[in-house]
Amino acid sequence: MLRVLLALGLIVALPLWAAEPRELTWLEMLPADTAPAAPPAALHDLSKLADALAAESGPAASQQSVAAPVVEALDGQQVKLPGYIVPLNVSEEGRVTEFLLVPYYGACIHVPPPPPNQIVHVKTELGVLMDNLYQPFWIEGPLRVENTSTELAEAGYQMAASKIYPYEITDN
Amino acid sequence: MYLIRLALASLANRRFTAWLTVFAIALSVCLLLAVERIRTETRSSFASTISGTDLIVGARSGSINLLLYSVFRLGNATNNIRWDSFETLAGDRKVKWAIPISLGDSHRGYRVMGTSNAYFEHYQYGRGQALQLAQGQILSDDPFAVVLGAEVAEALHYQLGQQLVLAHGVASISLSKHDDKPFRVVGILKRTGTPVDRTLHISLQGMQALHIDWQNGVPAQGKARISAEQARGMDLQPQAITAIMLGLHSKIATFSVQRQINEFRGEPLLAILPGVALQELWSLMGSAEKALFVVSLFVVLTGLIGMLTAILTSLNERRREMAILRSVGARPWHIASLLMVEAFALALAGVLLGLALLYLGIALAQGYVQANYGLFLPLALPSRYEWTLLGAILAAALLMGALPAWRAYRQSLADGLSIRL
Repeated sequence: MLRVLLALGLIVALPLWAAEPRELTWLEMLPADTAPAAPPAALHDLSKLADALAAESGPAASQQSVAAPVVEALDGQQVKLPGYIVPLNVSEEGRVTEFLLVPYYGACIHVPPPPPNQIVHVKTELGVLMDNLYQPFWIEGPLRVENTSTELAEAGYQMAASKIYPYEITDN
Repeated sequence: MYLIRLALASLANRRFTAWLTVFAIALSVCLLLAVERIRTETRSSFASTISGTDLIVGARSGSINLLLYSVFRLGNATNNIRWDSFETLAGDRKVKWAIPISLGDSHRGYRVMGTSNAYFEHYQYGRGQALQLAQGQILSDDPFAVVLGAEVAEALHYQLGQQLVLAHGVASISLSKHDDKPFRVVGILKRTGTPVDRTLHISLQGMQALHIDWQNGVPAQGKARISAEQARGMDLQPQAITAIMLGLHSKIATFSVQRQINEFRGEPLLAILPGVALQELWSLMGSAEKALFVVSLFVVLTGLIGMLTAILTSLNERRREMAILRSVGARPWHIASLLMVEAFALALAGVLLGLALLYLGIALAQGYVQANYGLFLPLALPSRYEWTLLGAILAAALLMGALPAWRAYRQSLADGLSIRL
């Protein structure tokens, strides 16, 4: 009897389990075989050292590699991803309806901003009310992968979010 | 039902104090709602002013400062940026469109903005609405053409073809005018409910022509003066502008373009995301808003306590009334609910009168606030949040009414049918 109940329970629970979106981490959005970026070239000609050190005339910090590869296998998957919201469009009611979701935000200008494959461009009909920029959120929805970088669009991840809620720190 | 009738009749008997109490509550409710209205309307008018612009670029200063002067015409720029920086950015592969903006002059208190026709094509407000002309056309080749925002045209009664003189600086009463180079109105924009309504748009060439004979900060004198006619024939390519609005092909590229601009080696530049700067502005204003809200909440509380005091002090003189009611068969809980109804009725009347005052105030001040602060206060029905506030006030009144009700209940039990005063 107990076994039957357990089996029944499993049958009922499995579809529910499957409907639960996959929890994604930001590192899973980088292809596994991505070669680490080349270290900056060493400066051998010491006569150029002064130029390199002068703030305004020195070389700008190198851009993130434009061809940041994306993981195509993630296309169309229901995922759940934590991150910070960088608002792009705010509705009249003060709700953010379009934003970029990033793994870290603000203050740290020592390193370049996140590369294209660490940014999700999210649109949401309902919008999200946010009090401050430094509050992380969980975003749920189908992920869409744009894998070719064209003149009009860069490779990257997009999502029409169905659920957005604050990220809480759990004790475990 | 008879309880309500009885309570109202009893109130009518003390109508002077009742009216004063109602009025005190009404004023406090009106204040609370007005603070709330202005807060939400300011937010929504700020939020709906800019849409679709990915980055705003200006001389290096602060992000909020740049947002305020470039979009909201508040405050001033710290520095100009060079024209060739604009050309470099506008030519970038990731940039879809670029709008140059040049500020610093005014006309009778309204800011003048030098720009190109890209502004009329790409600038968006609200939910992605583009600017539309009500009359006339956009800027043409003539440097001395001006396109007016809706409110400028309306407030100053300007028509198409009218000549007007721009002033140097942004003071509303200007002592230094560009009166040798009058501008002609070629177009009037439709109302947008944004600072665009309060702006005069001229071409960058017009902005350059205005200042072409200025030397060392003063207009040229005598022979060195260049007339409008002469200026038309000269090279009016601008050397500097104040800010740039950028639209990108891909939103994902926003950060990398922003970084690229912030590290631009030609001159120190600052690129901001308007949405982020707006959010920063909110968090800055948030504490002031909260303080105002708390103050008005306390005013409401004071109003309600005033009501409580009025009812409690009347209890003693109404012992005879209670005794009569008891003698005709009222039970102690009748007496108690009578007082609850009284408190509720006072609060309800106060809330209704407060709403009436609010709408009267908005109707009277609407034009003035719009003209002076650019804030449109609609005569809209209370929002869900405002209903919640009003409901909470009524609930608080009912709760407070429980105190005199309990005392009256005890008294009528003790006094019974006869009282010894």
